[in-house]
Amino acid sequence: MPASAPSTSTAAPGEEHSPNAAGGAQADRGSAEHRTDGSPASTAATPPWLEELRAAALEAYEAEPVPNWRRSGFWTTSLRKLDTDALEPREREPVSELPPLAAEALRDQEVGALIVQSGASTVFTTLDPELTEQGVIVCPLDVAAERHPDLVREHYMQRLSADEGKFSAATAAFWTGGAFVHVPRNVKVEKPIQTVYLIEEPGTAQYAHTLAIVEEGAECSIREYCLGAPIDGQALHAGAFELYAHAGANVRLAHFQDWGPGEVYDISTKRVEIARDARVDWVPVHLGGRLTKQTLDIVTAEQGSDMRHTGLYFTEGEEHLDLFTTDRHEAGHTTGDTVWKGALTGNSRASYEGLIHIVPNAQESHTYLQTHQMLLSQKAKGDAIPSLIVETDSVSASHGGTVGELDEDQIFYMTSRGLPRSEAVRILVEGYFEEVVQRLDDEGLQELVRHRIVQKLAAAEDQVSEFIGERA
Amino acid sequence: MSLEIQNLHVRIEEREILHGVDLKVAKGETHALMGPNGSGKSTLANTIMGNPNYEVTEGKIVFNGEDMTEAAPDERARAGLFLAFQYPATIPGVSVANFLRLAVNARREEPMKVKDFGKYLRENVNLLKIDPSFVSRYLNEGFSGGEKKRAEILQLAMLKPEIAVLDETDSGLDIDALRIVSDGVNALSGPDMGSLIITHYTRILNYVKPDYVHIMLDGRIVREGGPELADQLEDQGYDLVREEVAAGDAG
Repeated sequence: MPASAPSTSTAAPGEEHSPNAAGGAQADRGSAEHRTDGSPASTAATPPWLEELRAAALEAYEAEPVPNWRRSGFWTTSLRKLDTDALEPREREPVSELPPLAAEALRDQEVGALIVQSGASTVFTTLDPELTEQGVIVCPLDVAAERHPDLVREHYMQRLSADEGKFSAATAAFWTGGAFVHVPRNVKVEKPIQTVYLIEEPGTAQYAHTLAIVEEGAECSIREYCLGAPIDGQALHAGAFELYAHAGANVRLAHFQDWGPGEVYDISTKRVEIARDARVDWVPVHLGGRLTKQTLDIVTAEQGSDMRHTGLYFTEGEEHLDLFTTDRHEAGHTTGDTVWKGALTGNSRASYEGLIHIVPNAQESHTYLQTHQMLLSQKAKGDAIPSLIVETDSVSASHGGTVGELDEDQIFYMTSRGLPRSEAVRILVEGYFEEVVQRLDDEGLQELVRHRIVQKLAAAEDQVSEFIGERA
Repeated sequence: MSLEIQNLHVRIEEREILHGVDLKVAKGETHALMGPNGSGKSTLANTIMGNPNYEVTEGKIVFNGEDMTEAAPDERARAGLFLAFQYPATIPGVSVANFLRLAVNARREEPMKVKDFGKYLRENVNLLKIDPSFVSRYLNEGFSGGEKKRAEILQLAMLKPEIAVLDETDSGLDIDALRIVSDGVNALSGPDMGSLIITHYTRILNYVKPDYVHIMLDGRIVREGGPELADQLEDQGYDLVREEVAAGDAG
């Protein structure tokens, strides 16, 4: 990281909750050649309703203590090593070219629309004219709040709350930039819509909010990337993500998180609501972050809604990952299928808890959840806990979970065909994750994930071979 | 060019299963190793391939003049040994074709060109009358018993070992599958390959004609001979052999 990082605000985060001018201006500058509405962004004025919400969130933030998440008596996610006083929102200068970190992640993928936020600022945007012609809106959320107030207000934080702890409140109070996606009725967007959150300097506190609305009968693919430079120091990403898939919509959604080797703490909540006969296929991928505490909820809210939720994580070194997902059925005749797979190396900790919750009157819901976790080093520790709350009858809901190590019979089988042991292990781990990777709707993104899995395995090769060698 | 088992003693978890086995299989020869359940046949197969769960306490496995007793499984495979498993492992996420490409390349200095590999794969798929879509499935995942055995034979065909050990490849197969497997073995047998067919029953020997037959009982080879030994076994069963051996030991 350059020593001459852009000057940072010394104001308390709460005092600067109006969208910054640089973000708004860049949003247009970056996409000037594509824009059709042509109106230059002025310093966006936060609408009063949003001001009120922010003020309420700020109150909640001040009232809430820094949490310690405890579960099952032995699993604790603690922020005691995070020096929150040393963190603040960092404004970043707009850039004329896609930042390298983002360029690398998006290298082999098409781009329909793109919003890149670094630190607190929107630094780069593009929008394919084809999408503009279709009436699709993709812009920073602060810009959207000013230009499309009704659309934003109708959905903003309908499924999120500022009352879910200190960090939810902080995100609601302090977010800047952000991302807004709106796909109108019956519009089918071919190219993917991408949002990128970058952390490029230590000391960053990034409050992020993405709101995506896919109207009736519309179809699109949305991908969100959280990427970190190899910073020397701490940073925080406190994120909120909400997607509303209206009746009959069909959305492919992916989250790719790789905060890199820096000390990035990610405390985020992601919620997806699926309306009548709509479908969302969601693939969250966690490939890096010093400490991640995330809540990922997918709600089949009306009859006929259907979801697939397929995630993976691979932790290494000193990383700590704590995921809680809920597959919530709020109406009858809804269906779900959740699969989460993880692997752990180094001294890392990973906990996955997946809940199926079927509320009263949601009869004829059918859902399944399975979670697997693979330990690849002596010191790594984790758990994978499926659980179930069913408050009605006439449903089918089942779950299963495994925590295990590599299967020696599989390794013997592969080595008996001439593959060296280390290669056998690599292929087995890649194969293990392939079920999830295949659900990503883009080959470039698939390759990116595979590549990172291979890199992580290569970095851990010695400990993995020591570990499996000891058991042989 | 041969595989020589010399006075092999093997144990699993403190229990000795093989009590001194001698066996020699040369290239171009077809051997049948027969014996009842629990006689140690699969232990021998696994030990030949270097399964780490089996411990050799005495004796040697020599392949082409080289002592392989302590060699890792992958070294043995690259040297030209092959084991068709009785219960092949499932490898999720790895297609048959992809796995074969990795295995074929593991024994080459330069990886095969993708195009050449495709051609080579097709040749063998045709030779063994396998449905081409088979190779895009994940290896052994959701395979029927017959499909698993077919996948083993396809690997045998592609890897062209000098010595192949087939561990109960005939068990659990219906007659059509048995014929497909034995046709495959026959098509691959020849001067360049020796095979050791391990079986409980004589029925695969109706399709694959062995040059030599060995009978194993309680961790030892107790009878050896030509194909007529299998016929004799078909008529008399293992109990008679067991009685004869017991009488022989007593006398």
